[in-house]
Amino acid sequence: MSTDHCENPLHADYYADTSVHHSAEVIENVQVAEGTWRVRFRCPEMASKCKPGQFIMLKITDRDDPLIGRPLAVFEITPDEHGVPTDLDAVYLVKGNLTTRLVDVRAGQTLDVWGPLGNGFLPQPTRHLIMVAGGIGQTPFVTLAKEYLGLANYGRDCPQADKVTLCYGARNEGLLAGVETFEAVPGLDVRLCTDDGSLGHHGLVTDVLKQVLEDDKQAHGSNEGVRVVCCGPEPMMEAVAAVSKSWEVACQVSLETPMACGIGICFTCVTKVLQDDGSWDYKRTCVEGPVFDASKIVWH
Amino acid sequence: MTNPSATPNLQVQLGRLTLPNPILVASGTFGYAREMEGIVDLSLLGGIVPKTITTEMRVGNAPHRTVETSSGLLNSIGLDNDGIDAFISHHLPYLSKQSAPLIVSIAGSSADDYVSLASRLAEQGGIDALELNISCPNVAHGVDFGSNPALCEQVVRGVRNSCDIPVLAKLTPNVTSVVEIADGAAQGGADAVCLTNTLLGMAIDWKKRQPILGNDVGGLSGPAIKPVSLRCVFQVARAVDVPIIGIGGIANLDDVMQFLVAGASAVQIGTANYYDPTISMKLIEQLPEALNTLGVSTVTEVVGTVTSNKS
Ligand SMILES: Cc1cc2nc3c(=O)[nH]c(=O)nc-3n(C[C@H](O)[C@H](O)[C@H](O)COP(=O)(O)OP(=O)(O)OC[C@H]3O[C@@H](n4cnc5c(N)ncnc54)[C@H](O)[C@@H]3O)c2cc1C
Ligand SMILES: Cc1cc2nc3c(=O)[nH]c(=O)nc-3n(C[C@H](O)[C@H](O)[C@H](O)COP(=O)(O)O)c2cc1C
Ligand code: FES
Repeated sequence: MSTDHCENPLHADYYADTSVHHSAEVIENVQVAEGTWRVRFRCPEMASKCKPGQFIMLKITDRDDPLIGRPLAVFEITPDEHGVPTDLDAVYLVKGNLTTRLVDVRAGQTLDVWGPLGNGFLPQPTRHLIMVAGGIGQTPFVTLAKEYLGLANYGRDCPQADKVTLCYGARNEGLLAGVETFEAVPGLDVRLCTDDGSLGHHGLVTDVLKQVLEDDKQAHGSNEGVRVVCCGPEPMMEAVAAVSKSWEVACQVSLETPMACGIGICFTCVTKVLQDDGSWDYKRTCVEGPVFDASKIVWH
Repeated sequence: MTNPSATPNLQVQLGRLTLPNPILVASGTFGYAREMEGIVDLSLLGGIVPKTITTEMRVGNAPHRTVETSSGLLNSIGLDNDGIDAFISHHLPYLSKQSAPLIVSIAGSSADDYVSLASRLAEQGGIDALELNISCPNVAHGVDFGSNPALCEQVVRGVRNSCDIPVLAKLTPNVTSVVEIADGAAQGGADAVCLTNTLLGMAIDWKKRQPILGNDVGGLSGPAIKPVSLRCVFQVARAVDVPIIGIGGIANLDDVMQFLVAGASAVQIGTANYYDPTISMKLIEQLPEALNTLGVSTVTEVVGTVTSNKS
């Protein structure tokens, strides 16, 4: 239904036309790192449509505090024994109103979920996909890595990359969440770093990115065919966009703009996006993103 | 004799406007409807009110544009829209082909601006009513016409005389007497008044000593404001002879029924669309049962039937 309105693959006019609104049963809800939890819920209709980089809106059923849903990236799509996508996982950092309550939700309880939402990452020919994550921003990358490595198919064709690297940074070792999940993806090169040096490289994720780009250049003579995708705190995404620009590699960012509906009807989630004529316009991150070409973003 | 088990007649009449049922979706809380086509069956709605349009495009206010408060949502979107030309070319063709009644919301910067917006839209056809947003708290002069009865009357009359489409006036609760403003709208010839838009409010991050909204202040909506809107409907229904559409914090069928008995002939669902995107469908499905409970066979029979404890 929506395809004829998505001429620009990074600019979905409205994407909610494939989404559904459901009550979803919680399968499990477990702690995976310091202040970080993973919730799995059953929603076959959503799981079968979900593409890497898309998100869902979530609200605890019959609770009016918080009143408004919260967007969470889809971390994993799990199939049933017949290989049919059935469950979705979200990984969340315990932070405020929703997430401090979500940790108390037990298996068997229900969540109100609507999605899949947003444009997600589109399949594009890529020799080396470099995924750069900061903090909880690693969540969209498990499915993306699997897709580009040819390990999973999300109902669409995706050209395989020769190499996929994850550069993942957090403040300290305890906050690095889902590392085992990434390390269990065959062929994925995982490079970790921490601000305090407690694990991996001691320093910023942009240092790691530069090293990966340098190594790639040494091995291939140039960075042609490299694509950087990035999700994390805004200053980090801005820095990654700047590195990508100076190394002349394509870069896409997945923004975590606050949202109130996730489906394009409230105009909360706007971000400044450059137009063809050089001026900027506010675009709704939920329907026209959350993935944008980094060169189009006017950073605040 | 009313047969309580029969399917009730949900149709309502507001002045010259006929609606198939009294559950509408409110301006600014349903995008341009197209965003929702996969989630709700648009054809079942009592009416669709797309986001308010203005003559020129407006980028709207800087983020943060919304912030959640206890049982409510503050917003300072600032009428972000692409202007009437883009509306006519991009959104109207889709909206006017929907079977649900289309009520286009407009906001002008002067009485003449309202009239020219109305005339342009009337020329297009396919529009069932106009809703004059004279109550937006998030733009300069947004509430001028909604806080002065004479100005309200003037702008409603101007639009009413300029086209044949039914005219609704959407009023602000941020006035001393909403009855006086509603009376102005009725004198000007409004087919109905919509009660209410958002309540002016704010939220502060005291550690940063900074307001949270980009526009400092904004409009409060959601369940937190329902008692205020309900009171406005009750007061206007008793004092002014004009049909009413109730709006404010409606989130379940009890809320709908309270507004109907208070005097609203129809209601609009706003903020609840954000956190329960299929709410309008649920309410339309549940309404007949509530009418059966009251032993009535039409919506009209319950409108304004609340009594006063003081009489
Ligand atoms: C597309 C997208 C994907 C996302 N994916 C993920 C994900 O995979 N995992 C994840 O953990 N998060 C993700 N987020 C962020 C997520 O939506 C929530 O913002 C986050 O979970 C916090 O929600 P909360 O209700 O717990 O916190 P909230 O209560 O909303 O608070 C969020 C922050 O705002 C501050 N705050 C809240 N209210 C006020 C106030 N009144 N004054 C001052 N400060 C205030 C809080 O201190 C806190 O730091 C994503 C966001 C987007 C847009
Ligand atoms: C984010 C947001 C944007 C809104 N935009 C408009 C608008 O463009 N025009 C308008 O007339 N009302 C607008 N409103 C007001 C609603 O239509 C409604 O009158 C108000 O929110 C009260 O109803 P509720 O509590 O059910 O949301 C907006 C409300 C919200 C929350
Ligand atoms: S969150 Fe409502 S429009 Fe994007």
